[in-house]
Parts: sequence; C-alpha cells; structure tokens
Amino acid sequence: MSAAPSTAQLSPSAGAFVIAVGAAIAFGAVPLLGFDYLMDAVLTPFLALALAAVGLNLLTGYAGQVSLGSAAFLAVGAYATYNLHLRLPQLPLLVDLVLAGLIAAAIGIVFGLPSLRLRGFYLAVSTLAAQFFVQWALTKFGWFSNDNPSGVIDAPVLSVAGFTFTGPAGRYVFSLSVVVVATFLTLRLLRAQSGRNFIAVRDHELAAKVIGVPLLRTKLLAFGVSSFLIGIAGALWAFAYLRTVEPAGFNLDRSFQILFIIIIGGLASLRGAFLGAAFIVVFPLILSRAGAALLGGVFDSGVLEMSQRIVVGALIIAFLIAEPRGLIALWDRLWRAVTRPAAVRNT
Amino acid sequence: MTAIATDAGVLALEAAPAQGRALAPATTDTPDRRLAQAADCAARPVLALSDIALTFGGVAALRDIDLAVAPGEICAVIGPNGAGKSSLLNVISGLYRPDRGQVWLGERAFAQVPTAELAAHGVARTFQNLAIFKGLSVFDNVLMGLAHRVRAGFLRQIIGSPLARRIEAENRAAAEDVIGFLHLGDVRERSAGSLPYGLQKRVELARALVARPTLLLLDEPFAGVTLSEKLELSEHVRNARDLYGATIVLIEHDIGVVMGLSDRIAVLDNGSKIADGTPDEVKADQAVIDAYLGVAHQDVTELAV
Ligand SMILES: Nc1ncnc2c1ncn2[C@@H]1O[C@H](COP(=O)(O)OP(=O)(O)O)[C@@H](O)[C@H]1O
Ligand SMILES: [Mg+2]
Repeated sequence: MSAAPSTAQLSPSAGAFVIAVGAAIAFGAVPLLGFDYLMDAVLTPFLALALAAVGLNLLTGYAGQVSLGSAAFLAVGAYATYNLHLRLPQLPLLVDLVLAGLIAAAIGIVFGLPSLRLRGFYLAVSTLAAQFFVQWALTKFGWFSNDNPSGVIDAPVLSVAGFTFTGPAGRYVFSLSVVVVATFLTLRLLRAQSGRNFIAVRDHELAAKVIGVPLLRTKLLAFGVSSFLIGIAGALWAFAYLRTVEPAGFNLDRSFQILFIIIIGGLASLRGAFLGAAFIVVFPLILSRAGAALLGGVFDSGVLEMSQRIVVGALIIAFLIAEPRGLIALWDRLWRAVTRPAAVRNT
Repeated sequence: MTAIATDAGVLALEAAPAQGRALAPATTDTPDRRLAQAADCAARPVLALSDIALTFGGVAALRDIDLAVAPGEICAVIGPNGAGKSSLLNVISGLYRPDRGQVWLGERAFAQVPTAELAAHGVARTFQNLAIFKGLSVFDNVLMGLAHRVRAGFLRQIIGSPLARRIEAENRAAAEDVIGFLHLGDVRERSAGSLPYGLQKRVELARALVARPTLLLLDEPFAGVTLSEKLELSEHVRNARDLYGATIVLIEHDIGVVMGLSDRIAVLDNGSKIADGTPDEVKADQAVIDAYLGVAHQDVTELAV
C-alpha cells in the first residue's frame, strides 16, 4: 500500500511544474473555455465524490477501519449546511460548511466508538447503523428539511464574501477550491505523526499499542476527520452539483459507491481516491455511449444500469484479486514505464 | 567481538554443553563491564517479578516466578516450546494479567502493567512473530517507536506549529541515528513489508531501540533468520546494551547464542523457573541438564525453532 505520491518520484521542480500546469487548466482553462456540460455533469460530481473518497480512504485505506456509513455522513453534511444556512442566515457560507463538517465529524466519532471493540466485517456492519439511523432521522423529523413533506431540500445560492457562484463554472470553481484545500490539509495530516499512527493501527494494532500509540484517540481521530471530509463532500454534492436533495439520495448504494471508488482507485492513496472517483463518474457515460452505438435502442437506461453494476462488480473482484492497490498502482507502473527509458537515456 | 560471536554461532550447531564452555569467557572478559556490573549490584533492579502465576483455562503457563534483572544486564530466558517464555514477556508488557504476583518496573509495582504506558515507562519490546508496520517505510517504522513522544495535537501537526516541528525534527534525528546504528541506511525508504525476513526483524529491533528504552524485551529476535544474520543481530543486541545502556531480557532457543551473549540465564520448564544464574552455573545445573540441555532433548528443542 504505497502512500507515496508519484510526484515524489519526479524532481521537485518537475513536480511543481506539473502542479502549476494542472492548476492552470483546472482553475483557468476549463471554466474560461466554458465546457458547461463537462463541468455540470462530470467535473462537479467528480470533485464531490473524490472528496468523499479521500475521507473514506483516510478511514479505511489508511487507518484500516471499514465503514459502510459514508452516505450517512454525506447526508449529515448536506442537511447540516442547509439548516445552518436557513436558521443562522448571518453566518457566511464557508462557516456553514466548516460547521457542517464538524457536525458530521461529531456523529462520525459517536458511530466510530464500536471500532474500539469491533474490527473488519463486524465493524462494517456496525457502521450500517449510522447509515440507517441518519436516513431514518432525516425522513422522520420534518424539521431537518424545513417541513417539506418529502424531505427534499433546495439548495441556497453559493456565495462567499458577496461573490456568488451560480452557473456551472461558478459551482465547479467553488467545489474545486474546497476540494483542493481540504485535500491539501488531509495530505499534511497523513504525512505527520497522526498519519503514521493510522497506518500503524491498521497494520499491527497490538504493536502500535505497545509503542504508545493512543488507540482510542487515533481511531476516533480517523473517524472524525473522515466524517468531516465526507460531510463537506455531501454539502458540495447537494449544493454545487444536484442543488436539490432528498434523504433517499444518500442511501446504502451511495455508501457502496464510495467504497468501490477507493477499492478501484487504490486503498491508502489520495491520488487513488481521485482516480477512482473519475472512473466511477466517467465510466457510465462511456458505457452508455458505447452501448447506444453498438446496440442502439435496446440499450435503454435499465440495461445501462444493470450492465454498469455488472462491470463495476467484476472490476472490484478483478482488482481485489489481481491488483489490491488499485488503478493508482497500474497508473504508477505505466508512468514508470514511460519515464524509465528517458531516465536510462539521460544517464 | 564479531569473531567470538561467529564462534558462538558455529558452535551452536554442535552439542550444547561444549558451546557454553567455549563461550563462557566471552561475556565476562571486558574489565569495564565487570566494574559496571559490580556497581550495579547495589542498584535497584530495572525489572523484578515476584511470585507471578498465570493460567489459561486451568493450564498453568507460569508458576511462582520470581526474577530480578539488574541495570545493564542481558538476561536470557530459555526453555522448550510452551515453557511459558512468551507468556512471561506478555506479563511484563501488560498484555496478560497474571493471576497472582507483581511486576516491578524500577520503583513501581503493578498487578497488571498498563500496556499503553509501557513506552512512557521506558520499556520497549519485540514480538516472537514479526510485528512491523508493513505499509510504512523502514524509516517511518523506526520513527513510530517514538510515537509516544509526539505531544502536538493533530491540528498543530497539520499547520506545522513550532512544537510539532521541533518534536518531528528530534524524532527524525533519533530515528536516523538508530538506522545508522543497525545499518538500515540502504533500505530506509523501502516499504518494510517488502524486505526479507531477517531485515524485518532488524527493523523491529530498531523501532524498539529508537526510544532508548531502559528495559528492552526481545522475544526470539533470532528465530527464523539465517546463521549470519543471527550473528549480526546478536552483535546488535550486545551493542544495544553497551552503547545505548539498555537492560535486556531476551528469549532465545539457540543455546549457543544465549551462552555467548547473556550475563544471566533463567530457565523455564513447564511454567516453572528451574534455574537462574550465570551461563556457567546454568550449564552445570543438573535440573537444567535433565530438562533441557540433555542430549535427548536437544534435537527436540532445536527442531522446535
Ligand atoms: N493467549 C493464550 N491463550 C491460551 N493459552 C496460552 C496463551 N498464551 C500462551 N498459552 C499457553 O501457555 C503455555 C506457554 O506458552 P508460551 O508462553 O507461548 O510458551 P513459549 O513462548 O515458551 O513457547 C502454552 O501451553 C500455551 O499454549
Ligand atoms: Mg514463545
């Protein structure tokens, strides 16, 4: 489970160059060139899912605590942001967002408490409690959705310091900024002692305890930070992408989707979370185009959904067996194959 | 030193009593070590066990164990498989709670040692089965041995506060030091899980040493490694005491290595301590010869490794 990013294999200046070019394209070229469909239907949901996957990967990939409750924390983030905005209108949106993340973190810590006793499969089952409890509470208590009978909420306009992010480009840039900052801070955490503690607890809990890693604090920190990130991802999903959400949108399927993203992308790799999210977002689009081209009218949405599930399921099995480190391992191998001949020539 | 250790390893393959004789001088020939030991006699033991008993569902793993380990001593615990050696270390490190008796770490007595505070009490250990962090680099594994020193909270770590940065720098320097000491420099960035078994054992030793423990507990540190690695590792253990000042309790099957390395040997058989003394004393002990060193038993214990 290599946690080292591939930029570490580049020289620092080359790494900085790659980042600069990437930033220029992501923040500049894409929104300015006005690929509205791309931003609306692909990039914005990709960013929200990627952030959720970063959060789950911290918990599951790094700290080794399996969770099936991701969608619950997405929902908490979305509904908390909505209610903070509605009921405390004087608070700036960014504060709402952080507070919503903290609320998700608090709930994540509560549902993380069983991790002190349970591991693996049993812990995963216990995190289902979060999944079902949150969905039940949001449907049961009308207060959360401001007494909308169906529990649906409509997104407020995203605005920061008087600047509103309305169109596809605005919502994309807003998401991108939030995701970049959150990922950067997560990376710093993972590279510090806390990040090493996560992996130590994952790889050998008893040895970690003997050398003085505080197990309780480490696990709850993982649950807290993970839920914080997923909560913020939920707010992005709801307000930057869908703009109207209902509790059913955060069901168990969504939890599994995020788990699949990190398995396919690569456990214990932040780049893997992004790669996996990109795959999960782009893959159905490609599949539907390809299906329609090959099979024409037979390939309706029902067939699309079914074939999508089959292919994703097969891929999960394939990855778990053949490459447990996911797409990112394939990517790194490809990258090395491309760069090594050059390195040989240079020496 | 290396030459002597080599002899020990070669002899280890032969009959046990002969090795002890050949090696007896090796442990006691350094004058300053003797002086240090003489001075230590008056000192309080780093580790003392009084009347420890432990049972598992009616099976006695340890019976009435008393043991005192003086500062700077290398104390070996030997005995056939299932004698209770690992159980003893687990009691000392608080993983098992004895039914009876107390564990003294320096001045403090415990009915059960609090494992989470072990590092803070200056105790480090390794495990019979490898217990490294496979997903971390060698360097980060070693750094983990100082996890208990990191007092900066996670927010401070994220923003990189002066406190967090200072602790990180201190710990990195200490880890660097041990990496050099155990010759792990060539593999410091490799992921620990990808190394051969012998090197992984060394990484675990480095992780235990980095905190400069006053008491170091090693459960079969040489088991399953090649002969040359065994000799090298035993040299490192000796250096851990000589250069880092650690008091060491060591479990080992290979009597040859034990005789050459230890100041004291405690022999366990079937949960009871049947002998305790210098290598020479233990070697001459009739109970030990009967229970353990006897030629008839020799093959059994060596195979059991
Ligand atoms: N966790 C445990 N549960 C049950 N029995 C145990 C446990 N640990 C050790 N024992 C038993 O205690 C006895 C001593 O085992 P151990 O301390 O591992 O011996 P050694 O390390 O000398 O080979 C054995 O009979 C073993 O089966
Ligand atoms: Mg044992």
